[in-house]
Amino acid sequence: MISKIIFYLSFWFDFNRVNVLVTLLVFFSFLIYFIGRAKKGKSLFIRRIAGLDAIEEAVGRATEMGRPVLYIPGIEDMDNIQTVASMIILGNVAKMAARYETTLIVPICRPFVVPVAEESVQQGYMAAGRPDAYDKNSVRYISDEQFAYTAGVNGIMLRDKPAANLLFGSFFAESLIMAETGFSTGAIQVAGTANIHQLPFFVVACDYTIIGEELYAVSAYLSKEPKLLGTLKGSDLAKLIIMIILILGAILATANVEWFRNLFFVQ
Amino acid sequence: MSLVDFMWMSIGALLTLFTFSYLYKDNPFYKFAEHLVVGVSAGYFAVLLYYSSFMPKVIDTVFRPIEWKYFILAFKQIKPEYLLAALKGSQWWYLVPGILGVMMWTRFSRKLSWISRFSLAFYMGIGIGASIPLTLQNYVLKHLTSTIQPVNFTSLTGIWRLLIVILVFCTLVYFFFSREHKGAFGASAKVGIWVLMIAFGAGFGLTVMGRVALLAERVIFLRDYWVELKYFLYMLFKYGMLL
Amino acid sequence: MGFYEKLMSLDRRWVYLCVAIAVVLPFLLEEFGVPIFIPPYITPEVKSVYNFVEKLREDDVLFLAIDYDPMAKAELHPVARAVLKQCFKKNVKVIISALSQNGPGMAEQLISQTAKEYNKVDGVDYVYLGYKPFPALVIMGMSQNFKLFFPKDYYGTPLDSLPMMAKVRNIKDTKGVIDVAAGSVADMWINEGAGRYNYPLALAVTGVMAADYYPFLNSGQLFGLVSGMKGAAEYEYLMEKGGYMKKEEFDASRGMPIQMFAHIVVILFIIIGNVGYFMSRRKKS
Repeated sequence: MISKIIFYLSFWFDFNRVNVLVTLLVFFSFLIYFIGRAKKGKSLFIRRIAGLDAIEEAVGRATEMGRPVLYIPGIEDMDNIQTVASMIILGNVAKMAARYETTLIVPICRPFVVPVAEESVQQGYMAAGRPDAYDKNSVRYISDEQFAYTAGVNGIMLRDKPAANLLFGSFFAESLIMAETGFSTGAIQVAGTANIHQLPFFVVACDYTIIGEELYAVSAYLSKEPKLLGTLKGSDLAKLIIMIILILGAILATANVEWFRNLFFVQ
Repeated sequence: MSLVDFMWMSIGALLTLFTFSYLYKDNPFYKFAEHLVVGVSAGYFAVLLYYSSFMPKVIDTVFRPIEWKYFILAFKQIKPEYLLAALKGSQWWYLVPGILGVMMWTRFSRKLSWISRFSLAFYMGIGIGASIPLTLQNYVLKHLTSTIQPVNFTSLTGIWRLLIVILVFCTLVYFFFSREHKGAFGASAKVGIWVLMIAFGAGFGLTVMGRVALLAERVIFLRDYWVELKYFLYMLFKYGMLL
Repeated sequence: MGFYEKLMSLDRRWVYLCVAIAVVLPFLLEEFGVPIFIPPYITPEVKSVYNFVEKLREDDVLFLAIDYDPMAKAELHPVARAVLKQCFKKNVKVIISALSQNGPGMAEQLISQTAKEYNKVDGVDYVYLGYKPFPALVIMGMSQNFKLFFPKDYYGTPLDSLPMMAKVRNIKDTKGVIDVAAGSVADMWINEGAGRYNYPLALAVTGVMAADYYPFLNSGQLFGLVSGMKGAAEYEYLMEKGGYMKKEEFDASRGMPIQMFAHIVVILFIIIGNVGYFMSRRKKS
């Protein structure tokens, strides 16, 4: 009887991936716990990221020079978490741009990102108390195609000559082309991406680089939103546990104890 | 090579040289090539999307199988059985995602843009729901099990494994945001950033290789075109002399 | 401005000129009767892809995903062509998809040219599915049933009427997947494809992306990795040794001398730049 139940249940439940489910539940419980703490107003410590000051400095410099700020949110769609983080940072940058009365240009690669970017910029202007200053044309759809988008962005950099280029999101082969073009125009550049293979180009071509997960930390730090802060703390706890598992696992594996490693093995 | 192929090759070579002209400075030829690629890719993708997605999923599945005579009769005589007969071969339920797609277009209307949030939520929900367990499995658990290996100082493999465990640990410390990077913790984070920079250097090197490869292909193309051009000019001259 | 400061602020157009000379040099040497052929060092990850295809038997089915567009043609076209040639020579059947939005036409050109060389018939020896948007969903769909997303092939023929598709319902019915990709589609194959449905997967990616996928190779999620033009040159070299290709048919290998000279120039400029940086810093302090 039980074997029959398990047989029919296996069509709906993959018993080989129970450890994935357990990991997911543990991780989600961390997130829910810390989000709860953040919502209750308990202070959650996050260390200051060096690139944060650079963003405000970049927008300030653009204001002084009377030139626009170019914000590039990457080339991926809204299903990419980097684009989501980028939209949060865009909201804060829009708030700064509204406060300093600096023109903001946001070229977009994916159609689905356009309404979200418009919403973020609009919210930013509203948060700064300048809803009237919001220009719908600041968010522009360029092209879905990677290098066509790059060509369009390069064109904006060369023609509009922004004083500050902020590149936050998911980038691929176009990252160096854009960062190099921005460098050649003399703009101050701050970049952040979790795409590891694009980080080297941002490190060499930009003034400040926010590496990998720091992008998500910046979005949490800037917005101070309980959900983002709680998420960051939850993932920090998960990282701590992974570090402990690594060290413990290596010691146990060296001592020929295999069961510990097999706990995390997925077929 | 036929004359038509040579003509297309000539256009390709010309556009390549227009794009290379940017190396000197921005100019109208580069701008022309840039706008051409933007326009052509947008046009190509629009047509491709229509024929690969809209036609098979909407026109061919929903509207083409409809028996229109029964459909019209159903409305003229108000008989549901005619409607059922009309829709018999049609997969009309594909209209549901179609409507969700059309709802996205309400974004352009200031009054109705709130409707697009439903489609966006649906799309984001599916994307995130499908990818989270898979990402955890493929990007965390599988890499964790491959990193947890027996270590020792007696063999090169054992030393490499120990090094990997230590360096992965230090890199994770760098991305730990709940504590200031001070003391031993800070020292580990410094090792972590060094590991990152070494990894970035390797990535940079591979990328330079990739970029040079793209340049190499274009140069080979130009060189092959030069060979064809010399032959074409020779034939032109030869037939010109004959005439 | 001191000498070292001048080194650091060298106009980039001098760098372009030196790279241009380095790139033209192999052709000039060839004109003067000194052709350069550099036999590549065969890396284990490329050899494992070659050996995987080599071990396939007649009538086995391989899935080849051509997920790049003309921008990445230089690095990836040679690999796709080589794998197709190897399969067609061995009478291995191939199912091909093109999930990159600008790639379907280019992929069709490659497939029809290569099929013509080996007298292969569409529907019998190979099936070209074409393009559908949202690659992640398409990959998941194909892993369950090809007809979910491709009721017809690229040419409009229903899949049911193709003799080759009679025994193949989804990707799990094939021997494995070789994905030739230039974007995030590679991640989707790892995550939504092989990661979920457990079939063998190898990647052929551009040089830029290659560093990102070595952890997957080490963890066993990929059985092989061909990186960039160099990887393609290695594959071509193995194809020549296996009797599948002649030196005259090499594509990627023609670019290796150019790569060598260009890399030497880049290394020299890196050294010059760093010497300028450290010496000018020393001078300031």
